[in-house]
Amino acid sequence: MFDILKISFKIDIAYAFNSIIYIFSKLPFFKDVINYDTYNNFILKKIIGFVAIVLTCLRLILYRLMYFGSIYLLAKFINNQYLNSSFVFIYIIFAFIGLVINVNLLSASRKKYFSIILFRMDAKRYMISDLLFGLLISFVLNFVSFLFCSMFIDFSFFTIISLCLLSLFCRVVGEAISIYFYNKFQYLLTSKYKLTFSYVLLLLASCFLCKIGFYVSSNILFLILFIMFIFVIKSFYYILSFNNYKAIYKKINTDKTAMNDKNSDVYMRQMMVEIKNKDKVIDEKKLTGKHGYDLFNTIFFERHKEILLRSSKNYSLICAVFIFLTIILFKVFPGFSTELNKMLHQKIGIFVIIMYFINRGSIVTQAMFYNCDHAMLTFNFYKNAVVILNLFKKRLFMIIKINLLPAFVIAFGTIVLLYFSGGTIFINYIMIPLFIILLSIFFSVHYLVIYYLLQPFNKNLEIKKVSYSFVSMITYFISYTIIDVKMSSLLFSTLGLVFTTFYIFISLFLVYKYAPKTFRINN
Amino acid sequence: MKLQIDRLNKSYGNKQVLKDITFTFESGKIYGLIGKNGVGKTTFFNCLNGDIDIDSGKFLIIDNDNERQLETDDIGYVVSTPVVPEFLTAREFLQFFIDINKESINSDKTIDDYFQMVKIDEGDQNKLLRDYSHGMKNKMQILINLIANPKIMLLDEPLTSLDIVVQDGMKTLFKKLKKDHIIIFSTHILELAMDLCDEIIILNDKSMKLIEKSDLTIAEYKNKIINSLRDNENV
Repeated sequence: MFDILKISFKIDIAYAFNSIIYIFSKLPFFKDVINYDTYNNFILKKIIGFVAIVLTCLRLILYRLMYFGSIYLLAKFINNQYLNSSFVFIYIIFAFIGLVINVNLLSASRKKYFSIILFRMDAKRYMISDLLFGLLISFVLNFVSFLFCSMFIDFSFFTIISLCLLSLFCRVVGEAISIYFYNKFQYLLTSKYKLTFSYVLLLLASCFLCKIGFYVSSNILFLILFIMFIFVIKSFYYILSFNNYKAIYKKINTDKTAMNDKNSDVYMRQMMVEIKNKDKVIDEKKLTGKHGYDLFNTIFFERHKEILLRSSKNYSLICAVFIFLTIILFKVFPGFSTELNKMLHQKIGIFVIIMYFINRGSIVTQAMFYNCDHAMLTFNFYKNAVVILNLFKKRLFMIIKINLLPAFVIAFGTIVLLYFSGGTIFINYIMIPLFIILLSIFFSVHYLVIYYLLQPFNKNLEIKKVSYSFVSMITYFISYTIIDVKMSSLLFSTLGLVFTTFYIFISLFLVYKYAPKTFRINN
Repeated sequence: MKLQIDRLNKSYGNKQVLKDITFTFESGKIYGLIGKNGVGKTTFFNCLNGDIDIDSGKFLIIDNDNERQLETDDIGYVVSTPVVPEFLTAREFLQFFIDINKESINSDKTIDDYFQMVKIDEGDQNKLLRDYSHGMKNKMQILINLIANPKIMLLDEPLTSLDIVVQDGMKTLFKKLKKDHIIIFSTHILELAMDLCDEIIILNDKSMKLIEKSDLTIAEYKNKIINSLRDNENV
């Protein structure tokens, strides 16, 4: 058992070390210093391996403290008067939620594919060592977190140990149930989303029982622990006597799941832009009279309608509902309208971050690349300057159109909110909505321009250009920090209009000049 | 040793891909599995490898009159698109593989010997696998399967991405290996199959058929195979 754990650690550390060296090898100064021999440097390996372990421990502790923090806040929210009892009650409920959703022995992962399928590790030994190590880590993390929480809530030692053990018991029973289900019905219990969701929702709702005096006394806690202990014995027996792990792992962890690790950003991105079934058939009428790249672009739009338009419509609807509810709040809390009116006069920078989040430009460009450009760019005719710019123009109008729907709702809603919250000078009724509309166009242009100038993706939709990540980071940073800029809304919107117009013209100029050279495939 | 496939059936929804396939593979032979695109060659391999559930049928290993169910460890599967841990170097990958399987590896070869087998230079051994080409990744995949030495080897288009020198070396290696192994080799390149394989089987119209060579010349045999594949089109 220990040898499997030991080698598994070694692989993890080698992986972490190599990933770090690889990232550094892409940075300007380091790329001249790092070569393939660096991956074999023993001392560097030890140092970075140690740092990686420390960082992983800190990350785990931080996550666990956040978990405890959520329970603490929920307990405080539901029943602040009996915080201690509420915390214990909610902790137990959460442990039972974990019984169903916190099972991962049978979950698919790239690491399992490599370990069991590729490296041919003994599946049962791998699985049991993984479980036991997970339980040990979980116990230590829970214990440490309870000690930390003891600074705010008074727990007895018996309660701490009992609750720590309860979490472990729930995990073991959950894993056994999951294996039993898969063996009997050939599906993972968690893949039945409706069932899992209902279970979680029901238990979450039951947290509110402590509002009306439902608590778990020490005796009841002991009884729960005792009952669970019996189940744990049974579960452990089942887990240890079961021998078909490799066959199950082979079905769950295929080479395709390894390539598309569900936890990876790349996989999430690919799923986000995958063409939806209902868009696979296009209404012929939509294509009548269209030719060449106009037809090409229309087909792209129609095939991605669900991805492109659904969220745009949803955002518009959410914004409309939000504006309507805000107007109702004006009637209920009259002071609120004054505050909002003041904010709309002094801090309209908030619209920058709102428009940043609402804009679909990033998703649209990813869909363009994944479902179209990465294949088309292998043909020379597609790399022709005239074709690139012609298509860029059509795509620009398309992205602007998609994003304008929520922008108009927000712009119109802002006029309404300004009016009902106490009004403003006439020019603000024009300038602020105009600024919002232009912001929407700005982000649409921005995403398409950086896509054409930096084309960061490879065929799997991995971002291969540091410059793209850097520009994306800066965009977010500026959009976020601008919230705090205090300036009259008239001045802000005027400056904003000038800047965004200027930016749009400059970036379009850059695209026309450089895109024919930069819009290429990354290998 | 024999691998007996008994009445294998596999469908995806309403579409039946493999129907009542019964066939016996023997050690000492390399089998070339040929079929048109989408006919179910990879499905057949996935069924044998236990990657997907079968609707019905049995896989048996018959060795010296002992009969038993096929087990997952009996099989080594070289997939057409190799998936390797990208952030390990080739040397680390091999070292870890040997460490993990040291009890079952019956060979006194060193890591360098193994690299030599697939002609991977010293300069490439410390490269990350993510920097390897498709062909190089494939070499690593074939190599670990050679080291693991399973009784049955399923090779899905394994040689097409390799350079001709390594291809030639691999062919010689497979020919040596076949004595104690059952090797099933899927390819679209008929010449390669005819050059390497002892038997050609075609997967067509959901069933599997051995194409007997008998006394045919190479050209006649080739025509016979192509005509067998076309048979279904002419119906």
